[in-house]
Amino acid sequence: MSEPILKVEDLRTYFYSYAKEAFIRSVDGVSFSIKKGEVLGIVGESGCGKSITAQSVMGLVTDGPGIISGSILLTYNGKTINLLEGLSDYVSVKTRRKAILEIAKDVTGWLKRSEILMRGVRGKVISMIFQNPKSALNPFIPVGEQIAESIMLHSGISAKKEAIGAAAKWLERVQIDSPSMRLYDYPFGLSGGMCQRVMIAMALSAEPALLIADEPTTGLDVTIQTKIIELLKQLKEELNLTILLITHDMSVIMQLADRIAVMYGGRIVEYGLKREIMDSDSFIRHPYTIALLNSLPTVEEIKMKERLRAIKGDVPDTIILYRGCRFYERCDLKNERVKKRCKESEPEMIEIGTGHYMRCWLAEE
Amino acid sequence: MDLIASPKSLISSPIFNYMKFIAIKRELGLDRGIAVQYLSWLNNLIHGNFGSSFRTGRPVFSELIKVGVNTLILTIGSLIVTLLIAVPIAIVSSLRRRPFLSWGLTLFAYVLSALPVFWLGYLAIYIFTKKFNLFPFLSAGAVSGSKLNWLYFLLPIIVLGIGNGSISEIIRHLRAQLERVLSEDYIKAAKAKGASIWRHSFKEGILIPVTTMVAAKTPFILGGAVVVEQVFNWPGMGRLAWQAALDRDYPVIMGITIFAAIVVHLGRLSQTIVFAFVNPQISEKGEDA
Ligand SMILES: Nc1ncnc2c1ncn2[C@@H]1O[C@H](COP(=O)(O)OP(=O)(O)OP(=O)(O)O)[C@@H](O)[C@H]1O
Ligand code: SF4
Ligand SMILES: [Mg+2]
Repeated sequence: MSEPILKVEDLRTYFYSYAKEAFIRSVDGVSFSIKKGEVLGIVGESGCGKSITAQSVMGLVTDGPGIISGSILLTYNGKTINLLEGLSDYVSVKTRRKAILEIAKDVTGWLKRSEILMRGVRGKVISMIFQNPKSALNPFIPVGEQIAESIMLHSGISAKKEAIGAAAKWLERVQIDSPSMRLYDYPFGLSGGMCQRVMIAMALSAEPALLIADEPTTGLDVTIQTKIIELLKQLKEELNLTILLITHDMSVIMQLADRIAVMYGGRIVEYGLKREIMDSDSFIRHPYTIALLNSLPTVEEIKMKERLRAIKGDVPDTIILYRGCRFYERCDLKNERVKKRCKESEPEMIEIGTGHYMRCWLAEE
Repeated sequence: MDLIASPKSLISSPIFNYMKFIAIKRELGLDRGIAVQYLSWLNNLIHGNFGSSFRTGRPVFSELIKVGVNTLILTIGSLIVTLLIAVPIAIVSSLRRRPFLSWGLTLFAYVLSALPVFWLGYLAIYIFTKKFNLFPFLSAGAVSGSKLNWLYFLLPIIVLGIGNGSISEIIRHLRAQLERVLSEDYIKAAKAKGASIWRHSFKEGILIPVTTMVAAKTPFILGGAVVVEQVFNWPGMGRLAWQAALDRDYPVIMGITIFAAIVVHLGRLSQTIVFAFVNPQISEKGEDA
């Protein structure tokens, strides 16, 4: 098997809330890896830390009192670098009995260091597309020029004319009609779906080793969503893309992902190949994954335009330090035998099949 | 109705001759009704004729051009000084990276711009003439002989740049706008693609707010120029206006008013041009002056 392109180990991204005088543990010990040509889907409800995971990888978490720890190993051109290398030197943490008492961060030094690490990586080795394509494009620059900028920054083309020509080719690749005319349009003149196509063209134009797609279809019309997913699928085949796909929508995961990481309250609760997890024969799944799958509307419901069933209860507060399972309050499947354990200690990641991990006491049985 | 007073230079003459006074009044057209005077002035203006100065008898227009250029140099120069101080401070503090530095700089700028311009002007003159003896107290101006006295030329510009009272407002506005723009999705996306966030935030975060402030502040800077020209003996419009007001030289005052109005509108016009250049659609929903 090939080496993973990206290997994230025990990633923790905390923010400090002055109002609550406590840490918000947005990402709390997340590990996963992505192999070349693979689509890893991270799925979970709003607020579970998906975007912050992606932004930590991209070095986009800049807020002052935040800390990031763990390692993010990126392998490209035969070398491996840790995108968090040396960042901990700029943070000093005082702890007492595991509880963080005080944290001091040299923000300027930290950002400088992060910039050095990310230079040559952002946009070139890893590129990213965002949830709201309309607001992610610069409203003051024609879209063709924005794609050309990316090409000039990363593809060794320095003549603007040539870059614009290449941009037109990319617009064609993402199936935009009359691309040479669209080049000069400003984002406000384009529909949301078109803007997302432009974003995809821009992200792919540098031929990155990894594409991070953070909710690429959220905020678009349903019919447009289907088309964008279709496009990503095609491009993945054509270009052998490696994608970190982030979404709260199980149906997007079902259509695109090869491997799934289900996130809950800043942690991954289930991780494995899609066919392993989704296999109807598979009798064991994480209760949260089951709840997510149950929240998907059936074909009949879509026809009847019924509302999505939400999972009862709220996303856990990531400020509280949990002793037991984070899903405890909302879990329907805990039985009498495990209940006590669920409440008192948090389950570890347990391998329940080849490369299929789960964080649940039920799995131990 | 008559005008409040007649040209001072005439009536203050030691041998005040009433007959002669009436004759001159007629000659200058001051014996007509005020509405008639105004209409004839407007009529002349339409034909590009600003009238002649009561005092010197020379055409107002050429007089205005001569001093207007000096005033423009003073206002534009001081505007540049203001921006040179305000823009970097706003940028540094919008980044929120060095809280103490930005706090200190902002405080410094606020104190500076709270100083009254005439006081600042006299202070500057005092320091440079008394303490350093760099130029005579009552200098003839920036040009002595054929040599330009650079210090004397730059001092009023710097004093007006600091003292026009707009530094603090420009900092506040620019910092607020820049902070807003820097947190926009498209800046995050620009960063994610490895591009310069300054290139991407320049138009909305710097160019538009700066032009807005320049347009809004031009009248105040012109007002400050009147004072600075007085203090520094700068041969500009402000000094001419002062003199003309003392002399009740109405054609000159009217001309200056028109000229100042034009300058103020040039500020507005530059804003419109910049907005149109940046992007018509956005500037509509974007910032309104
Ligand atoms: N700069 C910040 N300071 C403090 N807390 C933050 C910050 N950014 C994010 N958070 C918190 O981190 C948590 C995870 O946020 P994240 O954006 O990763 O959620 P998400 O899983 O992407 O959800 P969504 O589907 O809403 O995008 C949220 O509860 C959020 O309040
Ligand atoms: S550990 Fe217990 S509470 Fe948590 S998901 Fe499993 S069964 Fe439910
Ligand atoms: Mg998100």
